[in-house]
Amino acid sequence: MPGIPSDSSSLIPFALEGSSQPPPVYPLQHGLRAPIHRIHISWSRGNLLNVTCLRPPPDQQEEMAREDDGIGGKAIEVLLGGAILEGNIGEHKRRRIAYESVKSYAFLHDKKISLAKMETGDNLSAPALTYWWQYTLEYSKSIRDILGNARLHRPLIEDPKNFLKPEEVEQPIGTKAAWELMEIFYVDMQLLSWLPERLVDWLEGYDSLLSKTETVHSKLAILQRKVTSMRVVEDEPGYWNGLAAALAVGWLDVVAKLLRLHGSYDPDQFDKRETENGLVEAVVLLVSEMPRMRPNLPNGKLGICYQTKHDYIKGLEKWRVKVSGLESSPFWVHCNHRPTRDGLINLLHILLGDAKHIADATSHWLELFISHLLYIRPLTNGLEGMGNLAEKCMNLKPSANNGLTSLLAGILSENPEIVLADCLKAFGPWIVAHAVDLLTANSEYTDGLLNEERYQLGGASIGELYMLVYAQALASHPLTWQVAPAYLSTCLNQGRGLLEILLLRQPVQNYRVVLKTLEICHLYELGNISTHIMKMAGMYQWKHGHKGLGIYWFQQSRDRTRLSQIAHKLFDNIGKSLSDDSFKQWEGLMELLGSDVGIAGGLEFLHKYREFKRSLQQIVNGGTVEAAKKSTELLVQLMRNPSTPQRFWLPLLLDSVKLLEWRSGPLLGVSETNLLLGKLQELSMAKLRPDFHGGELKPNALGDVRLALAKNLGRAILEES
Amino acid sequence: MADSGDRRRFIYNLHEQSKPVGAVRWLPSVSPFLRLAAMSVLSPPAIEIHSFSSQSPNPNPDLNLVSSYPLPSSATSLTSFKSHNYTLIAASTSTGSLHIFSVNPYDGKIESQIISISDKDSFHCGPIQSIDVETSSTGECATAGEDGRVNLVLIGEDKVENFRVCESDGLVAYTAVKWGSPVEFVTGGVGPGLQWWDKRRPGGPVAQFKGVWGHGTVTGMIHSLDIHPSRKHTCVVGGSSGAVYAWDLRWQQQAITLAGTGLEAKSQPFSESEVWEVKYDAFTPQVSSTKVLPVMMCSEDGFLAVLQQDERPVQLLEEPCAINSFDIDPQNPSDVIVALEWESVGILSRGREETEMA
Repeated sequence: MPGIPSDSSSLIPFALEGSSQPPPVYPLQHGLRAPIHRIHISWSRGNLLNVTCLRPPPDQQEEMAREDDGIGGKAIEVLLGGAILEGNIGEHKRRRIAYESVKSYAFLHDKKISLAKMETGDNLSAPALTYWWQYTLEYSKSIRDILGNARLHRPLIEDPKNFLKPEEVEQPIGTKAAWELMEIFYVDMQLLSWLPERLVDWLEGYDSLLSKTETVHSKLAILQRKVTSMRVVEDEPGYWNGLAAALAVGWLDVVAKLLRLHGSYDPDQFDKRETENGLVEAVVLLVSEMPRMRPNLPNGKLGICYQTKHDYIKGLEKWRVKVSGLESSPFWVHCNHRPTRDGLINLLHILLGDAKHIADATSHWLELFISHLLYIRPLTNGLEGMGNLAEKCMNLKPSANNGLTSLLAGILSENPEIVLADCLKAFGPWIVAHAVDLLTANSEYTDGLLNEERYQLGGASIGELYMLVYAQALASHPLTWQVAPAYLSTCLNQGRGLLEILLLRQPVQNYRVVLKTLEICHLYELGNISTHIMKMAGMYQWKHGHKGLGIYWFQQSRDRTRLSQIAHKLFDNIGKSLSDDSFKQWEGLMELLGSDVGIAGGLEFLHKYREFKRSLQQIVNGGTVEAAKKSTELLVQLMRNPSTPQRFWLPLLLDSVKLLEWRSGPLLGVSETNLLLGKLQELSMAKLRPDFHGGELKPNALGDVRLALAKNLGRAILEES
Repeated sequence: MADSGDRRRFIYNLHEQSKPVGAVRWLPSVSPFLRLAAMSVLSPPAIEIHSFSSQSPNPNPDLNLVSSYPLPSSATSLTSFKSHNYTLIAASTSTGSLHIFSVNPYDGKIESQIISISDKDSFHCGPIQSIDVETSSTGECATAGEDGRVNLVLIGEDKVENFRVCESDGLVAYTAVKWGSPVEFVTGGVGPGLQWWDKRRPGGPVAQFKGVWGHGTVTGMIHSLDIHPSRKHTCVVGGSSGAVYAWDLRWQQQAITLAGTGLEAKSQPFSESEVWEVKYDAFTPQVSSTKVLPVMMCSEDGFLAVLQQDERPVQLLEEPCAINSFDIDPQNPSDVIVALEWESVGILSRGREETEMA
């Protein structure tokens, strides 16, 4: 049935052998009746695919054709998604990121080139290397800003019931999360000692991206919605679950805020709840005093910072003693509210690093991983240890992997190739092209791996290959193609060729676009390409009747062949008609061609020729002797003038026959006749040459002219003697 | 090279548009608090009116889209003017049509399209590259096209008439037109430079200037023209290779170079790329009455600068992408609006802080 896709009418992409996931199937509604005879697929501009479906020709299926409404085929446009970045950001946002990031990228590469020049071929010395990671860090930060600053709208009066982070202006984007993750692991060398804490911070920003439903963030979001309508929060199991979850991933400020919503803080209540309140407050205090192995904390975050490992371990021991002291405190007996007692003790277990409680409180393996880093193995350092831990957490909490989690797993497995491949798959070519510099910032091994020229990639390196992929994505869009050259120019092997192709492919219809393209040619010193483009533009304009613009482009490109062709064509036409209109055209053309063309004296000749033709016309219609004499004068002038093109000699000589045969005596003197005879002789000699351009002539034309000239010579001699 | 201006006295705000912007023009505003600007959007082709409040406490006022009107193809030229207390916008397109809209001056709503001409035979059969409206008396709109035609459109009370001034059959491609007086206008194009036309003397241009760009070594096209109402004999020209020059009708044979390798290659070029638009800048004080008035220009390599004869150029902006168009507010010449290649519009206010401090 038309309009309803069925199995028989959907297009299925070719499945690759050995791929782990089944290929996605996208049904296309082509609305044709089965069977489909033929399918043509071709790329249109950008990500647009043209799919043409054809039904069998009617002569084979005549009966069916009669039943049908006669549609023999259909062409469908299919827009494939995921061009430059991941899918959840708008097209214009992607272009914005592409525009903004090119500045940072070009700046970093300029630095690279200038540093390389300073080192003049030697290996980068140690000081240069230290500079280098700082440059890369600057670059990374500028890119991070481009991806979106988490500008927070802080309310003037804080609502105590608003414990979750204030709504961010924009939803965090996965690309930014991935970028930050790579920055943490690959670039910032100063932060390596407090890597676990950086991961805690990272998770706080991007927890909501891990999964839609199964995260601490989603748990808290639900609680946040409910909490305003809850009368007695401590009776709700959700409250305690949320508290445990927030504590497990280290969102201490959220925990403190939530705990202070506890009913025991309420000033007007009937029961005696001082002990209960004291216990809650004690937990709040312990939470806010948690030792943290990091140089500082942002405003509003809780904990006590320790710079060195030694101080930290000491602080941690003291604090743990306090926590276990509270856990075994006799006051719990006096706490009458059971959920409070259980909930608080659960929190203390988490603080003490009880693996079971931590596992219960978290939802995603990554959260579990972070919580292990925070409470059980805070001194974990090195990727290997983290990798083992991550694997363990994955086994404990098998959750669906998405781009971010597989990226982290890739980073921990210390395989940059996998990291880049995962990034490309999840976040598109933009991030990969820009991340190569992050990955190679501090590792000579990765640098070698990604920038090594590979024979099987046509001499390109892996890094260059990703750059080319991104440049292609940019080039496919009419608004971003101008950004692509900046990336192509950094690709040493294939970039130049692709840049040339890209420039040659730009439309030449609009002269402004042509000028913009030429500007890029100029920037990258592609003189021959700009000549090509100008020639193409010239041809286009000439064909469309814009002679002025056409000749302009030919002149700019110094296309002498085409210009002289135009000039020859022009002269061919001149003899044929001499009306005012067409003459004006020739005049204009001649002016445009100027002295550039090989035909000398163009305009001057044209005017004299016209004058001669006009006077000749008068004589043929019956003119006076004076007119005939004047016309003869013009003829001699034309013949004497060296600028008269040779191709006009014969037509002029043929015209002269009319004057030679003037009835009332010879118009030309002996010397003038000799001049014409000389030209005739030269012409008959030239005729033997292969490059002679004679046009169409009567076979005995030359003979006629010679005869007339000879007769005239005779008459002239007689007259003069 | 250029003085990079005293940036502290400027307020510059960039407004992302998420669509390519071709040309920008200020609209005459009736209220000092609400400013209006028209812009031509290229895909999908349309005219848009945006408003922003210039006196709000917020230092970064947002540009708000007020209204938009679709065009049959992308706009090549845009101009705004006042006629009989109406605010009008005229736009020409790449398919050779001319459209005139009336705009409510209080809120910026496009009320109606009052004129739409498109005729391959009697009007233009290719892109109209430039239009200009004579506002002081006749209200005639001159259109110059790549097809080598120059037309005058007379907007009457009840009918619209157009006259062909020139038909060059494609020998000349006109790229710029500007009125000098109610009866005279200047055109610029590819090939033979500048032409001065007089309606009272039909049949052809009354004066011509054939400038040869940098001895023919670089491309030479004219992109923009401007004539100052107080000096109707001088025409300032912006074109290829960073060339900005002034042509005085009284000394037709030589032009005064303001920037670029231009006509004689003596001066160091300020910008070497296309100068897309030039306009007299009423805000910059004039140094000497015998010299060419200060001129603002924008270029493909992202410069916005003020040029003066025999002075170093004052650079106002240096953008990473091309500045396609700009406009100086006639009512408030300190304010400049620019259209950038990368889908954004910038508003530059000059000298505001200084006056606040004083």
